Amino acid sequence: MSEQAASSIYDLGYARYSGPRLGQAAILTELFRYSVRGIFGLGRGLGSKVAPMGLAVLAAIPAFAQLAIGALIPREVEVFRAEEYYGYIQVVIALFVAATAPELYGRDRRTGALVLYLVRPLSREAYALTKLGALSAALLVITLGPQLVLFLGNAFASDDTFGYLAREADTLPAIVASAAVIVAMSAALGAAIASQSPRRAYTTVGIFAAFFLPWGVASAIVEAAGGGPSGYVLLASPFHVIRGSTLWLFGADPEPSSPMATADLFGGFYLLAALALAAGGTYVLLRRYREVAV
Amino acid sequence: MALIEAAGLTKRYPGVIALDDLTVSIEGGIVGLVGANGAGKSTLIKLLLGLIEPTQGTAAVLGFDVCRDRPHLRRIVGYMPEHDCLPSDVSATEFVAHMAQLSGLPRNAARERTADILRHVGLFEERYRPMGTYSTGMRQRAKLAQALVHDPRLLFLDEPTNGLDPEGRDEMLDLIRRTGREFGIAILMASHLLGEIERVCDSLVVLDAGRLVEAGPLRNFTAATGRLVVEVDGDRDAAAAALRARGLRVTTDGRSVFLVEPADDRTLDLVRDVVAELGLGLVRLEPARRQLEDLFRRSEAATPEAVRV
Repeated sequence: MSEQAASSIYDLGYARYSGPRLGQAAILTELFRYSVRGIFGLGRGLGSKVAPMGLAVLAAIPAFAQLAIGALIPREVEVFRAEEYYGYIQVVIALFVAATAPELYGRDRRTGALVLYLVRPLSREAYALTKLGALSAALLVITLGPQLVLFLGNAFASDDTFGYLAREADTLPAIVASAAVIVAMSAALGAAIASQSPRRAYTTVGIFAAFFLPWGVASAIVEAAGGGPSGYVLLASPFHVIRGSTLWLFGADPEPSSPMATADLFGGFYLLAALALAAGGTYVLLRRYREVAV
Repeated sequence: MALIEAAGLTKRYPGVIALDDLTVSIEGGIVGLVGANGAGKSTLIKLLLGLIEPTQGTAAVLGFDVCRDRPHLRRIVGYMPEHDCLPSDVSATEFVAHMAQLSGLPRNAARERTADILRHVGLFEERYRPMGTYSTGMRQRAKLAQALVHDPRLLFLDEPTNGLDPEGRDEMLDLIRRTGREFGIAILMASHLLGEIERVCDSLVVLDAGRLVEAGPLRNFTAATGRLVVEVDGDRDAAAAALRARGLRVTTDGRSVFLVEPADDRTLDLVRDVVAELGLGLVRLEPARRQLEDLFRRSEAATPEAVRV
């Protein structure tokens, strides 16, 4: 091999490059593209595709179920409504973040490739934020995507498709806004935790715990107290924040006798909590990446 | 314009001074950065790449300040780290093209140059294989490829022959020499192996415990020392004593070789005569040249991980 390698070195030489060198936007676009592909395991082995692809399919199953029902039953049947959707798939969202964020951030530190990124025209902050953007884009695919399928599915399931579209068009802003809020919060929370360690085992469990522990604890506290100021603990629980801000954006009420109904908080607080979690997670991520050693 | 210029460059970590008040001006070509492990080689490279901030002092690479002009500088330098830095489940083609685009090359140019560079480093046949299946030698080549793909003006190589067998080391050194000589890319190459440095480099920067020991063209380091090496067959002590009696300074190192000063014609004659008078065999008589290892004789006692050839 070495002889052949040596001869190929001698025969075909190095060439200088005098073509264009693109700016920051093109560089960040490439990092974004590569990161989104990485999140879904594209260009990697089959094992890297199983979790993200499987969860993306799970997130879309209710929407496609509605499509199927709409096609089979010639009456107006809305099995899944838009404001309920994130409630169905919020566990899938959390699992998707837990499955992909640790790899998205930990991979370059485990392999040592991070230093190759950081010696290129790319600041530490730009690196961390572009990856956050990639995670957000992937999450939008699995949240907003099924919602749009659902919207069209419900329209076709209706006797009067165009009437439905005209009637329900005003829910579109809420569909998009709630997806944006949920995605921003979940991605920032996942990235903040994923950036703490290159070890995937720790950060996956950490993200899982950040979603599920407060969920159980906050529900238990509210149910035990039966209302009052302890209801505000729900604002520290990502799942309740997802549910609460979605319901508020759609102008809907939580189901009776749930912890959220018991707490009876102003719905806008959930939205504020979501934005605060998104901002806080992003801050933690940036602070971490400013000091990551290479 | 100097390739690299540092003024009072200092990097302090809690409890350790990794680089201590380095002031040096380095000209182009292939520059060797020599020192024992922990001498500050990697710290200097990381400072010059703007990966870490200096505690004090300034440095300029190709005339650009390493702190102020960082974004521009990063377009025109390449870096091959000492440690492993390649994802194992990605092919060299995909990874190197990705790295080229991250250096600002358009997608098509990145692909073309990736193919050219992988051919240049001798990885063309294996370019579509996941890098996890590569041997150490192939991985080192892929690391070099990503450092070269955007056609830098200056290449930083940190221990480029790390982990290579002798044959792989020869090939890598040859590749480095060709890249530097024939394509005019300046190279700063850190190594703790003096033999490699002697084979490839034009000039040298020597660090020891974070301090500059010496910097300059390679020939300065191997210049004549003003002493003669004398090796005799027989009674060495008698020969040394006789030479001392003639007013010469003689240093012995316990072997049959000893050094005589000054190294002029009269001394050459004297040595010949004395050895002949004593009836000894004269095995070697030549001007003593400085060896690169001499630079580290002093520090060897202090640092357990000393430099070896």
